[in-house]
Amino acid sequence: MKPEEMKLTGYRRPDGRYGIRNHVIILPVDDISNSAANGVAALIKGTMALPHAYGRLQFGQDLELTFRTLAGTGRNPNIAAAIVIGIEPKWTERIVKEIAKTGKPVAGFSIERHGDLRTIEMASRKALEFAQHASELQREPFPVKQLLMSTKCGESDTTTGLASCPTVGRVFERLEAAGATMIFGETTELTGGEDIVQSRCVNKKVLAEFNRMFKDYTHLITSQGVDLLGSQPTEGNIRGGLTTIEEKAMGNIQKIGRCQVQSALDPAVEPEGPGLHFMDSSSAAAEMVTLCGAAGSVVHYFPTGQGNIIGNPIVPVIKLTGNPLTLATMSEHIDVDVTGILRLEMTLDQAADAAMKVLESTINGRLTAAEALRHDEFVLTKLYRSA
Amino acid sequence: MKHGILMHESEDDVGVAVEDLKKGSRIGAVTLEGKGVGAVKLLHDVPLGHKVAMRDLPKDKPVIKYGRRVGKAVAAIAKGEHVHVHNVKTLRWTVL
Repeated sequence: MKPEEMKLTGYRRPDGRYGIRNHVIILPVDDISNSAANGVAALIKGTMALPHAYGRLQFGQDLELTFRTLAGTGRNPNIAAAIVIGIEPKWTERIVKEIAKTGKPVAGFSIERHGDLRTIEMASRKALEFAQHASELQREPFPVKQLLMSTKCGESDTTTGLASCPTVGRVFERLEAAGATMIFGETTELTGGEDIVQSRCVNKKVLAEFNRMFKDYTHLITSQGVDLLGSQPTEGNIRGGLTTIEEKAMGNIQKIGRCQVQSALDPAVEPEGPGLHFMDSSSAAAEMVTLCGAAGSVVHYFPTGQGNIIGNPIVPVIKLTGNPLTLATMSEHIDVDVTGILRLEMTLDQAADAAMKVLESTINGRLTAAEALRHDEFVLTKLYRSA
Repeated sequence: MKHGILMHESEDDVGVAVEDLKKGSRIGAVTLEGKGVGAVKLLHDVPLGHKVAMRDLPKDKPVIKYGRRVGKAVAAIAKGEHVHVHNVKTLRWTVL
């Protein structure tokens, strides 16, 4: 199956990008504004609050990443309109301004000098307007070269390296040829296969940036002076048969197939130009997918071995597994079954075709397992302690 | 299914059990391309997804999977043994 054969429909946003969902989000700037955001979402049908744990007393790069993640989430093409609620107006307006650059409807509210209840009322009146606006938008066809998607695997085992990750790799090779844009990351989980990523960097500048990110993150890991066995590989990985970080990394890297790496991005930065981009990121599933969403990804391939159940409130997460035990015991979480690869009943190309059929239907509105199960994990990446 | 062990490369030191395998049974191994890589008699029960040694591996030898070093043997490993965290460790992130 060629990507150009997929019939894709989505919502064209004012900035020209296409979303495949049409959410109106109520975005808190900080932890203490979660209650007001939840209050608005409870009142107005068709809106969704994105509560999170941070946003106070952060500083420096850590603060910048939080701003970029929150603003990027609002900017994501799957979002039709956004209400931003913070405790005070200044940081609230900073996020509103970034989202407004996309041309989509956005409004900010702050709680001080109003209280939760008056804030909820004001924000709800605006949210009602936005929800009605969003409900009038229609899907339209869009070409695959307008697609921006991401991948990250989780609760990996030896079957992910044999089946589900190579399946994504094969689809990504096809998408690369068709001019789509893809993101992968998981910096330290490339350890033992980093030379493969290095050899794919399109030029010396990208290579130097990748090397700097890889070195810095690896230093963080080794500087703790602890044995990471149990954390990386995780206990789930070990239960599934993975023994070392190198073995896990080799499975992980199958997801990029033979694609070239066009750029090395800081976390939550939107890629420029088509092809595959590396994003410096943690391997914790909810953190990584949240960063992908903030970078503009509209749909995500998530190969799993032992059965990571993660989802994301704004980015549909498509789960693939090659593990027959996981398929049998956790079928409600799985969207694409590639267990046939282990039985040699399915070729990689057939598996890639199956994954693309689900990608096409997901883009056109079919709920993924994670969406239907309300897996709405929205998790900010914290770089260090708050002040 | 005629095979019980799947291998990334025919020269790899280890293969992956694609179903729960029993101690004492003789199990056929193939590559992902379907190429036969012989059979091995299991010295332990090996659960689905876990690795089996396809040859004798002396202590300290790098362990090859995907045609690459993915760790080293920290004990002598015999052909047919279960290979995992008890007898293979990472070559990276070594804590002194």
